Amino acid sequence: MEKSIHRKKIAARLMVFLAIAMFTKNASAQHESTPIINSTLIGSVKDSITKQPIGNVVLAIKGTTHAVTSAPDGSFSFRTGQKFPYTLIISFIGYQTKEIVVDGSPITILLAEKASSLNDVVVMGYGSQKKSDVTGSVGSVSKNLLAQPAASFDNMLQGGVSGIGVTQNSGQPGGTATVRIRGGNSISFGNAPLYVIDGFIVYNNNDNANVGSIGTSSNALSTINPSDIESVEVLKDASATAIYGSRGANGVIIITTKKGKKGVNNVNYNAYYGTQTVARKLSLLNGAQWASLINDVNTSDGVSKTYNDAQIAAFGSGSDWQGSALSNAPIFNQELSVSGGDEKSRYLISGNYFNQDGVISNSGYKRYSARINYEKDISEKFKVTANFFGSRSIEHKLPGSAYNSINFSNAYASLILTSPIATIKNADGSYNINNPLNATPTNPLQDIVATINQNTLNRILGNTAAEYKILKDLTLKVTAGVDILNTNQQYYAPSFTASPAGGSTGYATKGYAALGSGNALSWLNENTLTYNHTFGDKHFLNALVGYSTQYENGKSFTTSAQQFPNDLTTFDNLSYAGIANLPNSAARSSSLNSVLARINYSYLHRYNITLSERADGSSKLGKENKWGFFSSIGVSWNVNDEEFFKPLQNIVNSLKIRLSAGQTGNSEIPPYSSLSLLSPTNYYLGGKLVTGISPIQIANPDLKWETTTQYNAGLDLGFLNNRISIAFDAYYKKTTDLLLNVPLPLYTGYASALKNIGSVSNRGIEFSVNSENIKTPAFNWKSTLIFSANRNKVLSLGENVKSFFPVAPTGQVSPVIVQVGLPVGTFWGYDTNGLLKTADLTNGTPLLGGVPQQAGDTKYVDSNQDGIITTADKHSLGSAQPKFTGSLNNTFNYKGIDLSVFFQGSYGNKVFNLLQQSLERPTLTQNASATLLDRWTPQHQDATVARATNSPVPQVTDRLIEDASYLKLKNVSLGYTFKTEWANKIKLKNLRFYVSVQNLFTVTKYTGLDPEVNFYDNDNTKQGIDFGTYPSTRTFLAGLSITL
Amino acid sequence: MKKTITHPIIWLLTIIIFTATACKKLEENPSSVIVSSQFFKTQSDAISSVNAVYSSLNSDPNGDFPLYGRQLNLLVENASDNQIFSPSNTNPDVRALGVSTYIPSNSRIQKVWQQLYFGINKANIAIDNVPNVSADTVLKNRLVREAKFIRGLLYFNLVRLYGDVPLVLHEPKSVNIEDLLVKRSATATVYQQIIADLTDATSLPKNYSTADLGRATSGAAHSLLAKVYVTQKLWPKALSELNTIINGGYGYALFPNYKDVFQKATKNGIEHIFSVQFESNLGAKNVVQNLSQSFTSFNTGTFPIDVPANKSVYELFSPADTRRETTFYDSVYNAATGKYVVFKNAYTPYFNKFVDYTLSPLNTQAQSGVNYPVIRYADILLLYAEVVNNISGPNAEAYNAINKVRARAKIADLTPGLSADAFRDSVFLERRKEFIQEGHRWFDLVRQGGNIYVDALKKIPEKSAVSSKNILFPIPQTERELNTLLTQNPGYN
Repeated sequence: MEKSIHRKKIAARLMVFLAIAMFTKNASAQHESTPIINSTLIGSVKDSITKQPIGNVVLAIKGTTHAVTSAPDGSFSFRTGQKFPYTLIISFIGYQTKEIVVDGSPITILLAEKASSLNDVVVMGYGSQKKSDVTGSVGSVSKNLLAQPAASFDNMLQGGVSGIGVTQNSGQPGGTATVRIRGGNSISFGNAPLYVIDGFIVYNNNDNANVGSIGTSSNALSTINPSDIESVEVLKDASATAIYGSRGANGVIIITTKKGKKGVNNVNYNAYYGTQTVARKLSLLNGAQWASLINDVNTSDGVSKTYNDAQIAAFGSGSDWQGSALSNAPIFNQELSVSGGDEKSRYLISGNYFNQDGVISNSGYKRYSARINYEKDISEKFKVTANFFGSRSIEHKLPGSAYNSINFSNAYASLILTSPIATIKNADGSYNINNPLNATPTNPLQDIVATINQNTLNRILGNTAAEYKILKDLTLKVTAGVDILNTNQQYYAPSFTASPAGGSTGYATKGYAALGSGNALSWLNENTLTYNHTFGDKHFLNALVGYSTQYENGKSFTTSAQQFPNDLTTFDNLSYAGIANLPNSAARSSSLNSVLARINYSYLHRYNITLSERADGSSKLGKENKWGFFSSIGVSWNVNDEEFFKPLQNIVNSLKIRLSAGQTGNSEIPPYSSLSLLSPTNYYLGGKLVTGISPIQIANPDLKWETTTQYNAGLDLGFLNNRISIAFDAYYKKTTDLLLNVPLPLYTGYASALKNIGSVSNRGIEFSVNSENIKTPAFNWKSTLIFSANRNKVLSLGENVKSFFPVAPTGQVSPVIVQVGLPVGTFWGYDTNGLLKTADLTNGTPLLGGVPQQAGDTKYVDSNQDGIITTADKHSLGSAQPKFTGSLNNTFNYKGIDLSVFFQGSYGNKVFNLLQQSLERPTLTQNASATLLDRWTPQHQDATVARATNSPVPQVTDRLIEDASYLKLKNVSLGYTFKTEWANKIKLKNLRFYVSVQNLFTVTKYTGLDPEVNFYDNDNTKQGIDFGTYPSTRTFLAGLSITL
Repeated sequence: MKKTITHPIIWLLTIIIFTATACKKLEENPSSVIVSSQFFKTQSDAISSVNAVYSSLNSDPNGDFPLYGRQLNLLVENASDNQIFSPSNTNPDVRALGVSTYIPSNSRIQKVWQQLYFGINKANIAIDNVPNVSADTVLKNRLVREAKFIRGLLYFNLVRLYGDVPLVLHEPKSVNIEDLLVKRSATATVYQQIIADLTDATSLPKNYSTADLGRATSGAAHSLLAKVYVTQKLWPKALSELNTIINGGYGYALFPNYKDVFQKATKNGIEHIFSVQFESNLGAKNVVQNLSQSFTSFNTGTFPIDVPANKSVYELFSPADTRRETTFYDSVYNAATGKYVVFKNAYTPYFNKFVDYTLSPLNTQAQSGVNYPVIRYADILLLYAEVVNNISGPNAEAYNAINKVRARAKIADLTPGLSADAFRDSVFLERRKEFIQEGHRWFDLVRQGGNIYVDALKKIPEKSAVSSKNILFPIPQTERELNTLLTQNPGYN
């Protein structure tokens, strides 16, 4: 009791002091000698070379805890009880910490950039580390790239860090990207990296975001607001990732969100508005050209021509179906954040609204999100943090479509394939449904406009942590977090559309409504103990032990109904329907228990070693092999610190050598994969549905981890006072015990079994060069060059298996093969050599077996020289994996003007242009590619495309496996930041305007819409197939950023 | 006082202790899917396991075409003189079947093999496990016999299509390939098993209540057994089975109208001995009956999924033959426009039997509620005529049998006084006309032996690549790669 009274007294006194201090603020001149405030210091902080003001610099009085932070214009003011003179410690990331003695007169402090960035702190798994001590391969995405407008942050990783490959799967707003770090390790399962957001390990499973969805899949990562992100670190080698054990094999992406800073209360408002246009359209036949193609088909069928010359002329250019659904579409983003902190706590509150309309009618993406990050020092020993994030995103997707029984991922392809002789709209503006070539009285444009296909994702990610310093060097940290993703899918195909409806069309089902809902939950608890101690002043030790448990479950259901009396209630009242379809539901859960340990030891920050170990127990694996152990070792040597290096330091001022080796794992298989499962099937008895139950999977109690063993050698170099810095890495990865669906002899009643068989290797080099080309007070030019090359190879697929063909769409021949010695997912087809001439038919030129070939047909190459073209002549035609990828980012600053130009490219990757195959295959109903204008006819024998016949067999040929190397000008942005004085005049701390263009141009030989394409989304074995996806766009936008 | 309670280390330790005990167990106990150890306990489990055996006839685990409903037809109709590939067949492997250029890696030949064995495995599981379930013994015996009927049917298809085949009678328990290697069993051994299974199945009930209509019956077992004996040319045995069916009080007869064989409303009728069950208008659980895709669209530029080999197939029929308009169409009434749409191109007329005209709108023909007849009474009558002719020559009984079929088709009796050979040829011609698209033609051609199959195909110019090796399909390439004990059929190496 006595103590608390005493405390109250102190508090009361403090209040009085503070009140006086406030009162005296404006009259400090007269009261300079008041005993309470001994000193007031004002001044500003600037870069020693560029003389640009630096904000957020921390200024602290030596020997006290009192500190302030500079404003964005570099200014600060300091009021303290300390007497002049005293020593001020000025520190800021990337700059040398400075100590100066101040005497009370206003000062300008010039900070020099660090000679080396080695004193920077790098975020690692379960902690951070001085850059000088790092032994592994870690890359960060630059602030410049993180500032680019994007719907989802995975889009921003492209070209951001060496060793990471990102492919936009389609242009659908909110769509997915395929992300690979140092190539794909697995054939059948899980090649995506692990995402760790503010310490929370996110199970990024897009299945959670796609409940019985129709069309392209939704991207679970798009629920996260990219502008909340402060930094993105990419962990690549085993030394960095082994601490994540069984989930580290595909690399780890560590995302840290923005936090409040002590002493600064900022209100930030950012907004941009832009317009998107379609980047590219396909060249198709016009009305007259198409009609004459049909006549050629008729001729080859031996029937009379369909159209006479007058009719052909009358068709003229015909209808532009491809363009009919396209328009320029707006994109809009705004966000408001309030952040700040006091002595004991830091906070950031942000809200974001993002709205991207699609360039195709009735498609788009919208997101609302909010975040609260809070940190509180309860005492000097005890700190708590909380990061809470919630978002709601609504995606309007194009319905998928089936055109002449070919299933496309979106309805845009069916527009492309609609004949130009069909009119789009009637004279009265209504949709023309009387297309003589259509199977049903429908209109593909109306299908797009009238079909509702929306997916709403609600996500809450909350993570709390408490840190307690048991001893000065010993910290206990307990974190607990939860990630909840709720998905709601709504679909309605009206009765007057050909939109897909449960295997049929809206027209056939007389209206089809579907609802789906999924709930995925994951919780994580981690407990770590960190010991951080310096022995003497030479031995630096950081040791970590911990254990963690993560649990994940998911439940989903879908239900649908059809035969609606009208299209008024859509999916909102299924009870109007005439037929209720059998609903589906599913549930799964899995858990992972882990024990982890790591030792970082450094001698003089010159010789460093990292040892890490993690034991993971996964519920998904066979009962004999639940637990796996993953260890790594990494060493590094800062050669430049050696005495013998001193003479060289004028040229090479930093040199670091890194070596690491270790193992990580992968067990991203569905739960229950090791068990003997039975599944339901249906039959009809007495005209009624009955359920049958039969096994679909043989138990494999030995099922275990995929193990990736990785070796890495790295070199970090700095030249010219570190104005040029280079990071170079070479690596070799071998993944063994692949989780592979191994083919079984079919007479067993099973097609395959999940086993640990086979191996895959990835080897490559990568480097990044950062260069400050020009650095003057007025003008600054920086460049970043990033280069990555990876070679992927299947080493083995088990005994007696040299290759297998991944499952192709029903009725199609697989265009890809997985074969020992080749990259995973290699295209497999025929070489061609122009067209057959009349002479070829009689001179023994090998012809395609089985199909009578004529002059003007494709001439295939008899690669095994057996005199006949059979499937044995198919061979590797390259793969979607690039030989190398690179990016170049240049930023220029001149006074307040900033310009950034970002190129990104890929070389040596192939795309199978499956849409082109369809467009070059004449039928009597669908439109065709303009390449058919150069088709063989008896009058035009010197042609590039085979003669027109009725639905020739579509073969996979070298002609369709196109070189999809590209160079894209991904982003150009030009901004102007107002001078601080001007901004201050309108009571702002900072004001910036900018304009930017994304995807301004693409240089490529690829003839499809975009060389970046993955029709099969993240399917490892079927990358780089273009079966008609949502077109990509070019975006022009303008924005502003205000700090209050 | 307060201080000790709120000391942070206490909180943290509490959290740790709490979470340590919450540490999740790693065993899996799925709630949404059945594990084998939970199954085969109840009578209902036993019934479900046999329902699954039936479902292997009308579905595919990967959503591919079903065995009966198209896949089998790709081999026994497309590779016969009834059909050639349609322009809409984009798969070169399908086209190869139509022009006799298929090789061991043909994916459709592999698919049929796979579907047959998938059904056999399900039957094996039921046969081995149903007896151990605690349920009514009469029911258990019936269920096992139903599974044996299907196993017999599937092995009968296998042995006729591929010759010597692995004879697998129990489910595999291991994922290790070394434990799964078997050799091909001689055709005779496979037939022994088929006959044993089907003989056991003859003890099945003659009839079922409405709810169980579609299950295998005693009559179906006798009929299939008769067909097995006919294929093996064991005429007296075949005759004995046929007599049982015709005179054993089963009550089978021909529908008065041929059309009723292929109507949704008359399914499981008096003529149907065993049919694979299809259903339409059940929403998303319709089975795909791709044979109904002979009608795909009112758009006359769109080709159906299957087309006749050439006009000669259509021209087999006299205009009076009622089977012609049931088997083919060249015009369809479009209710949406109120007009008839006439299809006239190089591939007309199209096949009609499995088009489900109860569906409205009509153009949704990946589904059909028309059952696929595996054995119907017309087949029994024609087999009877064939068998009697082989034993006693073309006597009155033989004539009587074939003429029943002809009379129902509204055509005149067969010319009296034919020689035994001429009579046999007439029976096979009648079979061809009666069963177009019903999966008989390839079997009927091949089982006659000699060059009959090759000669028949040579008459179709596109099928000129046919040779004597084609009287068996090749063992799928991948099977031989995985199991080197498997030999290949002659001519395919």
